[in-house]
Amino acid sequence: MPRTYAFPLALGALLALAGLLVVVALRPASAPSREEVARQIAGDLRCPDCQGLSVADSNSGSAVEIRRQIEEQLTAGRSPDEVRQSFVDRYGEWILLSPTAPLAWLLPALVLLAAVGALTVWIWRARRTRERAGGSADPPVTELDRARVREEAEALDA
Amino acid sequence: MNVRALRWLLVPLVVVPLVLLLLHGFGRDPQAIPSRLIGKPMPEFRLVTLDGRTVTSAELRGKPVLLNFWASWCIPACVDEHAVMLEAARSYGSAVQIVGVLYQDTPDGARTFGARYGEPSWPTLLDPDGRLALDFGVTGPPESYFVDARGIVRYKQFGPLTAAVVSDQLGRLLGAAGGRGS
Amino acid sequence: MLPELGHAAIVVGLALSAYATIAFVLGARRGDRAVLASARRAIYASFGLAALAAVTMVVLLLTHDFSVLYVARNNATTTPPFFSVISLWAALEGSILFWTLLLTGWASLVIWRHRAGHVALLPWAGATLAAISAFFFAVMTWPGNPFTRVTPVATEGPGPNALLQNHPFMGLHPPLLYLGYTGLAVPFAFGIAALITRRTDEEWLGIVRRWTLLPWIFLTLGITAGAWWSYAVLGWGGYWAWDPVENAALLPWLTATAFIHSSMVAERRGSLRIWTSALVIATFCLTLLGTFLTRSGVIASVHSFTQSSIGPWFLAAIAVALTGSLGLLVWRLPALVGSERPAAPVSRESAFLLNNVLFLGITFAVLFGTLYPLAVEALSGDTVSVGAPWFDRVNAPLFLLLLFLMGVGPALPWGAASWRSVRDRLGLPIVAGVAGVVAGLAIGMRDAAPLATIGLALFVVAILGDELLRGTSSRARTRGEPAPAAAWRLATRNRRRYGGYLVHAGICVMAVAISVSATQGQDATATLRPGQNMRVAGYTLTYQRLVQEPLRDDPQVIETRAEVGISGRQTGSLATALRSYPSSSTPIATPSVQTSLGEDLYVTLLSYDPATSTVTLHALVNPLVVWIWLGGGVVGIGAIFAIWPDRRRATAPAPAPVPVASAGATPPRREPIPETAAPSVRAEEA
Repeated sequence: MPRTYAFPLALGALLALAGLLVVVALRPASAPSREEVARQIAGDLRCPDCQGLSVADSNSGSAVEIRRQIEEQLTAGRSPDEVRQSFVDRYGEWILLSPTAPLAWLLPALVLLAAVGALTVWIWRARRTRERAGGSADPPVTELDRARVREEAEALDA
Repeated sequence: MNVRALRWLLVPLVVVPLVLLLLHGFGRDPQAIPSRLIGKPMPEFRLVTLDGRTVTSAELRGKPVLLNFWASWCIPACVDEHAVMLEAARSYGSAVQIVGVLYQDTPDGARTFGARYGEPSWPTLLDPDGRLALDFGVTGPPESYFVDARGIVRYKQFGPLTAAVVSDQLGRLLGAAGGRGS
Repeated sequence: MLPELGHAAIVVGLALSAYATIAFVLGARRGDRAVLASARRAIYASFGLAALAAVTMVVLLLTHDFSVLYVARNNATTTPPFFSVISLWAALEGSILFWTLLLTGWASLVIWRHRAGHVALLPWAGATLAAISAFFFAVMTWPGNPFTRVTPVATEGPGPNALLQNHPFMGLHPPLLYLGYTGLAVPFAFGIAALITRRTDEEWLGIVRRWTLLPWIFLTLGITAGAWWSYAVLGWGGYWAWDPVENAALLPWLTATAFIHSSMVAERRGSLRIWTSALVIATFCLTLLGTFLTRSGVIASVHSFTQSSIGPWFLAAIAVALTGSLGLLVWRLPALVGSERPAAPVSRESAFLLNNVLFLGITFAVLFGTLYPLAVEALSGDTVSVGAPWFDRVNAPLFLLLLFLMGVGPALPWGAASWRSVRDRLGLPIVAGVAGVVAGLAIGMRDAAPLATIGLALFVVAILGDELLRGTSSRARTRGEPAPAAAWRLATRNRRRYGGYLVHAGICVMAVAISVSATQGQDATATLRPGQNMRVAGYTLTYQRLVQEPLRDDPQVIETRAEVGISGRQTGSLATALRSYPSSSTPIATPSVQTSLGEDLYVTLLSYDPATSTVTLHALVNPLVVWIWLGGGVVGIGAIFAIWPDRRRATAPAPAPVPVASAGATPPRREPIPETAAPSVRAEEA
């Protein structure tokens, strides 16, 4: 197939996929079962007598008991947040595997955004400088570029 | 001032906070978490002892209580503190109520431990599914809680008890109780 | 007498390493060849002494000499010989000895390999390596002496840590990992040498890239083997818990990988000198930091060795290494700054730069998550945790972006891209990716992460396959070779490129396997009496009987086994056990893993009651897990393919004069370079 048709085809496929995802997302999802909710909570809690494992992943005595208590509290009609809180009341925030402070979530994102921003500015500013200098917007061809081209061409011919 | 020289600031800005942070970490046990129970009433319970007696939290009121979570497999820490507790039981006698709670262990393990390292003169509670340990927020044995005569938790010892901690904390609890009593 | 011999070897090793450090510096400053030669010999000798000390320790372990504290704590008379030997790295002091052995080994190899060349760089690199070796010898001379005696001498010991003697993988995973860690000291040493001599040029880049790739391969395989070990031994059904010890291995891997990518830009465009030097420095400092974090008890972890007096030494080493190398970098900054040349906005260079930003973003996130609890506790006194849910949520988007770049990168030309060529290259791969997502949706997958991973992985693999096809067909056309021969010659004449593509393909396999196994697994727990059965994800497990007996090769260990019949997509029987070791208070699970290409059936015995033969079983069905290990193998093969020395000059009777596109520096120029070649011309079109 000629490659020129591939890209329009790809655009069409992406559009169709977007439509499909919207349909899938909009279809009323069945509410998560109690087991799923319980597993979710257990996955967010730190097993007290393990090292860094979650209650969902651990088979220690405490983890088994915590899973039982989660089940018990959910059956009694408590909300997931209330269940989590009942363990925070006993162990403090230490028992939550995801820190609740917004900083813990924002800082990695901010650092990454700042780095991407700095990179973008660096690349665009250099382009401007070259343009203003009257040259091409793209970096000039160098010895290294030529060596590179020649190297690849040779590899094909060898 | 030369602005370019400011780049030298980069070195201490990276090194000093990192080293201070790591220095802070020395000797810190990540399982050692402060208890949420300090100043609050001890959780209620009703458990059976190793020799079949039932003990409730209510009947422990009136005397300072030393509640010790331990296991026969917690070696050597629980062995070390066992000697301290035997000594404490001798010297404080009936002024203090010592209670052991077996943590994730079998009664047989506890009996063998007692036979080897000295029979405890205090009751050992069985907590088969670890419910009481969860209520106290225990992260692993040994861990001990000092509860005053009114049933309020006053101190948490993470790791093995030492003679100094026992005399310090029990002295404080007895002093307070004595002060009110006289 | 043996322990004294071992310790004497360490003390002499310290003296020789210290001598080599000074001799290299003096020799370099005076240009004195004789002094440099003696420094080289001192390095070789320090390797010999480390080997002597290590062999001594192994003999002590094999002969169960309990007069040595390390043996008394980590061995028993019943320990099988294999586990006695690998106990060399089972605890703190021994692992430092093993570490020193590998480090001096790398140092000797590097010095020997480059004994005749790189006159300016080598002495300074040698001095750096010798100084690092001296540090480790010093640790063993004073706080971490592995040959410390103990009285009274016990007649029996507890044996090695139960977790470590439960699986033969302990013989493989630590050596690979340590080979990676210690090997990364070599690029660091050359980084320091380059900054001192102001030679961050192509010669430097070529050496550093090669000496980074080799340890990188070991580190990659070591991390994979470690994940496999924890899957096969720890019994919770997973392979990665974002445990500090895992993060410690991941951090230098991330920066080393970033370096490997940025070094290609640096080589092509002669820029990024500050950046590449900073990356090799960061990589080594992160290995030191990881060692410190996991060996000092600062952050608990599955295998934090017990708290020890070694911590302050490592902290001092981190402070010195970081201050020294950062100071050197800052000092040389003015000399390096002018050389930077940014890329065109849409080009392979930009893709590489963004790749580096993402790798460093993940490095920051992992380091931040590892240190966050410590920082919060130091600043506010609160105790908080950071675990798998946080790491997964923060890092998953970054890894997906990396996967996307992995596909886009090779489709973008160096220099500046023309929209048309990019468009033509991306079309079919996008269709392939969309097809993958649709297939995932069709089989009922609804989680975003695995769907996105499958789509992106197919996108990447399609681009890589397309690249190979284009090169092959162009070669087959111009030279009239049959396609397989054309493909092989193309790949072996462009080892770095096609080796790199194979690595990327392996990463794609791993990424899909990881995201699917992490989200699509099912599990069940049941308490059963003999004859009863349980169901999990289409399997029926029938519990048959409980067997309790001592292990054949180590009778001190009692194994309690539940024998279970299985029917479903796999049939047969399995035995899952708990083992009681004399050295361990709680029994160690020995999960049974029934592997097939589609999924693993993973069964753990949680508890049992010997009186009634009742057992509690935890059964998991983990899809695609085996592809994580297979993908890791592909990564290893691809990387080895990439750095395989080019022997064509010696062996292949090539029809034409042999061109050189070796895995080394830029090729020698045979013809005048055509002045008309534009940078965006692609090789296949040229």
